[in-house]
Amino acid sequence: MSAIAEQIASGTISDRLWFYANYHCNLRCTYCLTESAPEVNRREFGRDQIIERAREGKKLGFTALGVTGGEPFTLDYMPELIATLGSELPTIVLSNATVFNSRRLREMEPLADLPVHVQISLDHPEPEDNDEMRGPENFRKVVEAVPKLIERGIGVRIATTLEDPEAADPHEMERLCELHRSLGVPDEDHVVRPIINRGRAQSNDMGVLAGFEQLEPELTLTADGAFYSPFGPTVRGGRLDTDLLVSRTTEPVRAPAEMLARIVEGHPPGSDASLGIR
Amino acid sequence: MTAVPTATKVGNEGQISATAVALIEADQAPILARPFYPTEGPPSPITASLAHVPEVLEATLPFIGRILGPTAVGARTKEIVIVRTSALMECRYCVETHTAVALDCGLSREEVHALRGEGDVEAVFTDPGELALLAWVDAVALDRGAVSEAIIARATEAMGDPELVELTLVAAATLMLNRYCSALGLPTSAATLSRLAEDGFG
Repeated sequence: MSAIAEQIASGTISDRLWFYANYHCNLRCTYCLTESAPEVNRREFGRDQIIERAREGKKLGFTALGVTGGEPFTLDYMPELIATLGSELPTIVLSNATVFNSRRLREMEPLADLPVHVQISLDHPEPEDNDEMRGPENFRKVVEAVPKLIERGIGVRIATTLEDPEAADPHEMERLCELHRSLGVPDEDHVVRPIINRGRAQSNDMGVLAGFEQLEPELTLTADGAFYSPFGPTVRGGRLDTDLLVSRTTEPVRAPAEMLARIVEGHPPGSDASLGIR
Repeated sequence: MTAVPTATKVGNEGQISATAVALIEADQAPILARPFYPTEGPPSPITASLAHVPEVLEATLPFIGRILGPTAVGARTKEIVIVRTSALMECRYCVETHTAVALDCGLSREEVHALRGEGDVEAVFTDPGELALLAWVDAVALDRGAVSEAIIARATEAMGDPELVELTLVAAATLMLNRYCSALGLPTSAATLSRLAEDGFG
């Protein structure tokens, strides 16, 4: 077993290898980590590059894959890419679920037979509250898309991102849980997490602070390099944050994986990740 | 001895160009770059620029530190090589920064002025070994292809093989840094400029 595989197996490094497929998005959420929006530079990683690195990651010992952005499904090849990744390892793809038209849903049907989950953002049980941070019509599109994905046999998780999950109104949370259950998503596939004070959230003075001491080490590959966590390659004021940059090298994956391992090994005792955000 | 071009002399107007890349402040330093940042005060522009590529930084800075830092060759000798090479290469940043270092290493103001092209090197430096070294540095920095047999003979008479190897590498590393710092337009720190002004190098 390689040193990387041992660290993954022991949980020192997350077993999931993440990819930022792109940075552009059809939405402009107020807490977006990457300042994504329709007009931003795409900084697309590339289908073939992701597949090559995912396969190398599998050989290194990673046992799961993740794809995020930007909105990954603004890329035409995303359903096919996720199918390819899902045939290699269990894969989760993060989406706002607002671009799932009938053609895209048809393209996603092959995902039904694969260990693939689409993690969809839904923050509040009422449209006006949800759409205040995520944009007009977001709520309606999500509640329409989720059942359609589930009908096709595609796994769906709901991710709720809140300013302070601990302080969330329990009645509102119960209404939200009733909603996701009614859409076909069980409680075990609902995650609630805090807004991270990076990117646009930092500009808007929202969320909790998160440096590498607070985050799980999850190797994350992007067009700009490898990062410590999927919460690392954030953008503020149009400039990429580098505080969680591991290396500019993403190929071979072994290189940033070994650098991440060195970082984790050098982690001072008692500084275990404390936010536990996934 | 080769004349240093007038334009290299520090303090000439128009020497300072815009920095080509953003300098990464401490709060944005990549994790593996952080050990190379000082606990107090700003990082050197070389560190703050190399931090864009941490895997290169963590190889480059120890390399530079080993070659330019304390070794069997004395600091005075190394600074003669560094200031002279930097002046020949017209590297404002390296000349200014190493003027201060050279003074700290015991070189006289007159010697440093001469190395910077602001005085007659052959009149200021009288030690035959240092003059042989300066001839060697001029050849390493400016010649294309092989160094002439005459300069090799003079250098090998003045220096043993280990010293010649190391000082050639000091010159070569300085050449690399000269081009790096000049091309990227790295700014000399305010503290260094203030110090130079106090020492009459403004």
